[in-house]
Amino acid sequence: MRPSPGDGPVAAAPTAPPVHVMDPVERMIHLVLLAGIAVSVALMAAGLAFGLLKGGGIPRGVVPLGDLPRAARGLSPAAFLSLGMIVLIATPFVRVAGSLIAFVREGDCRYVVVTAVVLAVMCASVLLGRI
Amino acid sequence: MALIAGVFGSMLGVGGGVIMVPTLSLAFGVPIKTAIATSIVCVIATSSMAQTTFVSKGMTNIRLGMLLEVATSVGAVAGGVTAVLVDGRFLQYSFAVVLVYVAWQMNRRGGDDTPAETGVLEASYYDPAARREVRYGVRRTRLGFILSFGAGDVSGLLGVGGGAFKVPIMNLLMAVPLKATIATSNLMIGVTAATGAAVFYGRGYMDPHWAVPAALGILAGARIGPRLAMYLPARVLGVIFQVVLVGFAAMMVVQATGARL
Repeated sequence: MRPSPGDGPVAAAPTAPPVHVMDPVERMIHLVLLAGIAVSVALMAAGLAFGLLKGGGIPRGVVPLGDLPRAARGLSPAAFLSLGMIVLIATPFVRVAGSLIAFVREGDCRYVVVTAVVLAVMCASVLLGRI
Repeated sequence: MALIAGVFGSMLGVGGGVIMVPTLSLAFGVPIKTAIATSIVCVIATSSMAQTTFVSKGMTNIRLGMLLEVATSVGAVAGGVTAVLVDGRFLQYSFAVVLVYVAWQMNRRGGDDTPAETGVLEASYYDPAARREVRYGVRRTRLGFILSFGAGDVSGLLGVGGGAFKVPIMNLLMAVPLKATIATSNLMIGVTAATGAAVFYGRGYMDPHWAVPAALGILAGARIGPRLAMYLPARVLGVIFQVVLVGFAAMMVVQATGARL
């Protein structure tokens, strides 16, 4: 294979691909994302299943936040689908918060500040209601 | 459809909103706000799912991503302000030109810069296609930061994730290898999209009828994309990305010429 210009000075090809060992920040992000996806997929699947059982297909429109607890107790398909979407949307927020915790633990002051700013701007722009 | 969007989006580090929004609104007759909301949910799904692969393989430069995210998220807020000041059509034409220029530059360069250890945000990853460890440092951090603000501004304005701008900034300007760029851009688009999605949810534009099947399809697709991105040679990825940039530019021109979707 012809080497591309991107090939650096280190060209020693290891025989077996090395297994990447995640650092604490990577482990935290990996964990948060996996959990977020698993929970949201489970909720969406439950919503779809309830929708099938009750008939009427996939509901249109989401349940407003305030009505969610009541709708979820009534096993409303729309409530489960809405919850699944909320968890999916919340996952990147939790991921940034998780990285913040990981940077604090590592004592990486610079990135504690950087990550805190990102989280603050995210929350502020949601509150402002515009992006 | 969503499955394919998931594969492509996660392979190239772009959200795929450019493809999703017109397809949903034109082919499926979904109202435009709902189409955008659905597309944003898909970007989140792409980013979250793809990162589980990219992060575990050490492809993502998390610190670089977080740093540039400061610029893009502030830029996205500023996008709302810019929208009042500048004519949107003018912006769409300008950025179509920029995208074509960037695609041409990437094509001319024909590959990554020779990675060099610059001492700034250094990282390394294993490239399974080249079968070697790639070490690199970041160059021109300050300029990249400023331009990322611009990328965030545009994504706030035009309602696209901005991956198409983030990838060239990191790859061409900051000399980050393409694969690390794709992984890092993918991490960043999730943040912008989540913010947008929260707003759309609050305003009631989310429709599970479209968003849930699309998200599930994307989640499946985004398991495949990152693997393709890692195992394809960087050169091939570059060419695919250039084609997407030109297509993206064409879309912007079409929108600007009045075909209001």
